[in-house]
Amino acid sequence: MDDTTMMYFGMSMVIIFIVAANFGTFGGGIYGYGVILICILGVVFLLMMTFADFIVFPLMTGLFGITFQPSRNYKITRGQEAVIKNVNGLYYATGYLTANLFAHTFKAEAAPEGEDERRMVAPENWEKAVMSLDFPFKFHVMSSALDVQQVRDELEGKRSYQEFQMSRAMQSKNTTEVIMADLQRNINVIQAKMDRISQEEKPIANLMYIETTAVGVSEKAALDNLSAQLKQLSIAMGVLDVQILRVVGRELYTLFKFSFALPTTYEELSSNFDIQQ
Amino acid sequence: MENAGIFVFIGLLMIAIFMVLVEITIPQGVIDPSYRLVILAVAFFFDLMAFSSRFYGYLFLPVLKQRKRHIVLSNEDAYWLSTTGDSILHKEGDMFTSTIYIKIPLYISATEMGETEKMEFTRQCARVVCMSHDPIRFTSQMNVMNKDDYLKTIRDTIGEVENKEALIASGVKTDESEDRVKGKASMWHHMFDRISGTASFEMITYASVSGKGSKEFEAISAAQARSRDAMSAIGSIFGVPPSIVTGEALLKFVEPEYLIPYSTISEQITKQIREQVS
Repeated sequence: MDDTTMMYFGMSMVIIFIVAANFGTFGGGIYGYGVILICILGVVFLLMMTFADFIVFPLMTGLFGITFQPSRNYKITRGQEAVIKNVNGLYYATGYLTANLFAHTFKAEAAPEGEDERRMVAPENWEKAVMSLDFPFKFHVMSSALDVQQVRDELEGKRSYQEFQMSRAMQSKNTTEVIMADLQRNINVIQAKMDRISQEEKPIANLMYIETTAVGVSEKAALDNLSAQLKQLSIAMGVLDVQILRVVGRELYTLFKFSFALPTTYEELSSNFDIQQ
Repeated sequence: MENAGIFVFIGLLMIAIFMVLVEITIPQGVIDPSYRLVILAVAFFFDLMAFSSRFYGYLFLPVLKQRKRHIVLSNEDAYWLSTTGDSILHKEGDMFTSTIYIKIPLYISATEMGETEKMEFTRQCARVVCMSHDPIRFTSQMNVMNKDDYLKTIRDTIGEVENKEALIASGVKTDESEDRVKGKASMWHHMFDRISGTASFEMITYASVSGKGSKEFEAISAAQARSRDAMSAIGSIFGVPPSIVTGEALLKFVEPEYLIPYSTISEQITKQIREQVS
């Protein structure tokens, strides 16, 4: 969750606090339970819109059969999983997959072992993946270099906070080994990132995604072909050790717009996606 | 646009808070408690809408205005070619965005590389990805080659050779022997079958950058400035001369129908129908 979303979430929760603080004014008994139920549902829906909107939004549009026209000649399907263009009776369905490198770049405490070997086989793996495909696709890497000093300062701040938490945990009697190990791991991850910056590795914000287009004589045929192509892509690109997920919902609309206009600032890029750093 | 989103959020949130505050200030017994629950539920609905405006604000107005199952977010063309011919333009609100495509001519394969070259190539890719402070997109695109012109040339040649073959068969003397003409016809037929039988693919690597402006020329100038920086960095890292894609060639990177030529699709459909029938 980015800072802006957090601010939106915090402010939306204000209403819950107001109701909780004045609970007595709503009356007791069954109405009291009703208020509690509405509050719980409110929080649940807010959390769902925060963390699972990619499920909720397509579910709603699918249920009500809602489609969107993002621009002339294009249509976003009711399942929010593809953009369709009709050209002279032929349907071109375009779908997207994320291809994130989160798995081994950002969760590890140190650079994974055998990184040099992995780098060496990367071009070959890429060529093998490409050769196994027989339909058009695009592999996009969108990046924006970050300010080294700013990133370093942020990491130092985070490390200091974790160290403070650790010193508090050490003084507390309820601290378990699991909590200590978790805090130590967090510190190690931050330290590993700082070390990589010290070794002149530049911090970047990165967004990687794959786009493919399938053709059909009807919308359904095009969508079926697209699903088959996306499956093949997931299998072929699996060799590159990237986390592959099908893009649905609002992110599909954003990626569609990227076909014609890219973000021009890092803030613009990061406001729509969970960016890798 | 971002500011407009915040105003929508604040507006909806204020409605929700106002409803709850009104409900709190009304003494018990004035209105039926079940109505209180309904008002509270409506307040939560507005609260949820306020939060949803973070990412779905662009849908609110069209959904409310149109109230249909097919909602038109924009009836404009997604883009148009700039007058300079080197970029595409997109308009959102009052702002223009110009996008320039830079072709990176990389014609190397991992099979031709040694171990050190592979490492060096990976390093070059890492360097190029983190070269710019402004967002830049690198793309490797695989598309079906349009062989229509080439196939037409072969078909014409086959026609000429077969014509010669017919002349020889009817006793007319030509500058080539009968065996040679027959061999030629067989060769061209074989070549035609081979080339038209399977789809050929091409891999293109390119970078794209965008610039924004309140006027078309401002956006184009901003994008051009960024593309110049990107080109010099790409050129120095890979040692190749990148070039800006202009005119109709841009369509291959933007339009889905340019990824697969029409002739290939008709062949695929015919093949599918044949498979279904047999």
